[in-house]
Amino acid sequence: MNNRPYKTDMPVLLTVKPMSGDKFNFKLKLWHVFPVLLFVLFYSTFGFADAGPAKSSVFETLVRWMPLLLKGFLFNLLISVLAMGVGTAVGATLGLGQISQSAWVRKFAWFVTQFFRNSPWLVLLFFAMFLLPFEVEIVGVKIPLPDWLKATIGLSLPVMANVSEIVRGAVKSLPSGQWEAAESLAYTRTQTLWLIILPQCVKRMLPPWMNLYSILTMATVLASIVGVSEVMTLTGQVLSSEGGRPELLAPFYSFVLLLFFAYCYPIARFTVHLEKRFAVIS
Amino acid sequence: MKSLIKVALSGVALMALSVTGQTASADAIADIKAAGVLKVGVKADYKPYGFLDPSGKIIGIEPALAQDVADKLGVKLELTPVVSSNRMQFLEQGKIDLMIATMTDKPDRRKVVSIVDPNYYSSGTNILTPKTFGFKTWEDLRGKPVCGIQGAFYNKATSANYGAKIVAFKGTSEAYAALRQGSCVAFVYDDSAIVAKTNDPAFADFEMPLPTIDDAPWGLAVKLGEDGFNKLMSEMIVGWHKSGRILALETKWGVANTPFAKAMHDKHK
Amino acid sequence: MDIFFEWFRHLYDTTGINLPFIYDAYDRNRMIDGFWMTIKLSITCLFFSTIIGMVGAWLQGSPLKWTRRIVNGYIQVFRNTPPLVQMYFFYFAIGSLLPKVATDYGGEAPLLGSFAWAAISLSFFAGAFNVEIFRSGVEAVPKSTIEAAEALGFSRLQIYRDITLPLALRVSLPALNNNLVNLVKTTTLAYAIAVPEMLYEANQIWSDNVNVTEMMIFLLLAYFFLVGILVWGMNRWEQSMKIPGYGE
Repeated sequence: MNNRPYKTDMPVLLTVKPMSGDKFNFKLKLWHVFPVLLFVLFYSTFGFADAGPAKSSVFETLVRWMPLLLKGFLFNLLISVLAMGVGTAVGATLGLGQISQSAWVRKFAWFVTQFFRNSPWLVLLFFAMFLLPFEVEIVGVKIPLPDWLKATIGLSLPVMANVSEIVRGAVKSLPSGQWEAAESLAYTRTQTLWLIILPQCVKRMLPPWMNLYSILTMATVLASIVGVSEVMTLTGQVLSSEGGRPELLAPFYSFVLLLFFAYCYPIARFTVHLEKRFAVIS
Repeated sequence: MKSLIKVALSGVALMALSVTGQTASADAIADIKAAGVLKVGVKADYKPYGFLDPSGKIIGIEPALAQDVADKLGVKLELTPVVSSNRMQFLEQGKIDLMIATMTDKPDRRKVVSIVDPNYYSSGTNILTPKTFGFKTWEDLRGKPVCGIQGAFYNKATSANYGAKIVAFKGTSEAYAALRQGSCVAFVYDDSAIVAKTNDPAFADFEMPLPTIDDAPWGLAVKLGEDGFNKLMSEMIVGWHKSGRILALETKWGVANTPFAKAMHDKHK
Repeated sequence: MDIFFEWFRHLYDTTGINLPFIYDAYDRNRMIDGFWMTIKLSITCLFFSTIIGMVGAWLQGSPLKWTRRIVNGYIQVFRNTPPLVQMYFFYFAIGSLLPKVATDYGGEAPLLGSFAWAAISLSFFAGAFNVEIFRSGVEAVPKSTIEAAEALGFSRLQIYRDITLPLALRVSLPALNNNLVNLVKTTTLAYAIAVPEMLYEANQIWSDNVNVTEMMIFLLLAYFFLVGILVWGMNRWEQSMKIPGYGE
């Protein structure tokens, strides 16, 4: 976006001065941690002024519970990685199904995609939590399905639908000339798909796929509503153990926001970088 | 066509898998001893009955009772945090073997899980409210927002019988925070927890003014059909009342001794 | 009407399919209230997030460095943090800092209730995405058009309001539709701060009646229906606003 100042009388022969800071060039550097820490410290000393003599300061409380909350956050990340893996695998299959030549497969894939795309993530999560059994028996071996695994399956359902759409969109965005050229060179449909179309699509699919991962990571917090022991549940239980002191609310929730920001923001920047690198001139 | 048949068959297989999920077993005690671990569902956000310590372990009155049962069976204890809206489901599904989670004993709940007699604890429904309001009867709550916990049975009663507008939250920390903010005039909950809260200096200007209603005993439960386990738990509960274990635990965790616990101790001495 | 409802009670007695939100008057009213609440919340958030998007996209073109930085900071923070935590933060942390108003039953309540905070939080969340969408739309407007307007003496605000925005809106409509559909689905998060919308009421009902399966299936169908109507409406609007010769 060019932010040249618009002036109606145009002085002749003046050189154009582009505005500095056109694009938002903010990169998270290591020293950025310090203003954040300062803010937390300042806020907590402000909170300390309100606390009674027998209660520990807000900052002390936060530091005391930090290891537990960080463990919870790692658990969130684990859920996100697993759900993304499963969702991508199944979603890619569905996406290919949507462009299949058989009308039945196409319609079925389209229906499944639309159904899971239009459902709220939280409702699908409840669905998976309550309706999946707590263990499955395959050829006599009992495999337990713990809570977090059911939540992962629940979260992989909307991921699958979105990946299916991404794959379909990417395939459709290729010029039809590619398909026609492959046909004239006597490639079978499978060969065309795997050797020509999909390799070109991978680049186009990467930015929306990473965007989806970012959304998924933030959606893992929903698992707290269905009782999985991740960072939000732990925060609630921690606040309860501390007796529900109201001055703890803002620092603890800010800490959780900070954790997610620190993880998702670099991913967002990397996605923008990828978008520029793989920009398709159409 | 061949691939279509393959897809259909695998779909049927998946469905069959999900149906065979539940396993039936008539003897839970033997299963527990064979597995070497007793899985108990307890609350993790209800101080002092079940809450977290900084290392993430669940501690409190009910985890202590669960440990007694595990010691009796000679197995390890595994605590699973539950909330009101999923504790019975977990027991039904077999995720936990035993549930000690502040659950009130009600007839329609006895149809879903096997509640053990005699009852191990009791409490009633009451509210925590700022002293400034001066509520005296339950009718005073009509038309006013009252905080509650999602899934509690007394929410429907409070709103249907007394016309209060229930604002239900997922956990107690959110409910207490909303109460402090003034988003609701009172918090409807078990009187035992509220009594513990009124002793907390942070809640010095809150009171529990109304007469306790629905004084209902709590029940711990096992899966429906587990008669052997039910009998074992029944003996354990009698033992707890006889030895005054419940009273001792109450004192340890800072709850005033409830009349029910005292009466049961006297009865079984 | 009662005969229709009573048939469902009969259904429960014979087959065990329990749909208390049809045959029980109390539950039925709860469910209908929840449905309208979802619609109310969705419409409020759709409206405000679109406005935030338009205003944000305009501020991004401001000549002042700090205005641009603040807008970009807002976008990055709201896009990279979970909406659920944002909502908790707004309702509990910021809500407790605001002044209180006296209520008619002699107490003091916070200035904004849970519905207001849910609407604010979700509007800002969706607004952050909308700013990006509108920005790409604004960038698609040919510079020669802007220069021509400028040559005719339009001020910056007039250019944005009368020329850029209408064109940008039409270009960004597909992405905007997608975002608005996501917003309707995201309203289920308001459940966590006790806004009595559909999921909240369904949870109350299945806690009282232990009929989770039926309620889940009903919820999925209800949202499928709501979202379907929105998608259909947006497609109709897209068709009517199509720029001839663009995009196909």
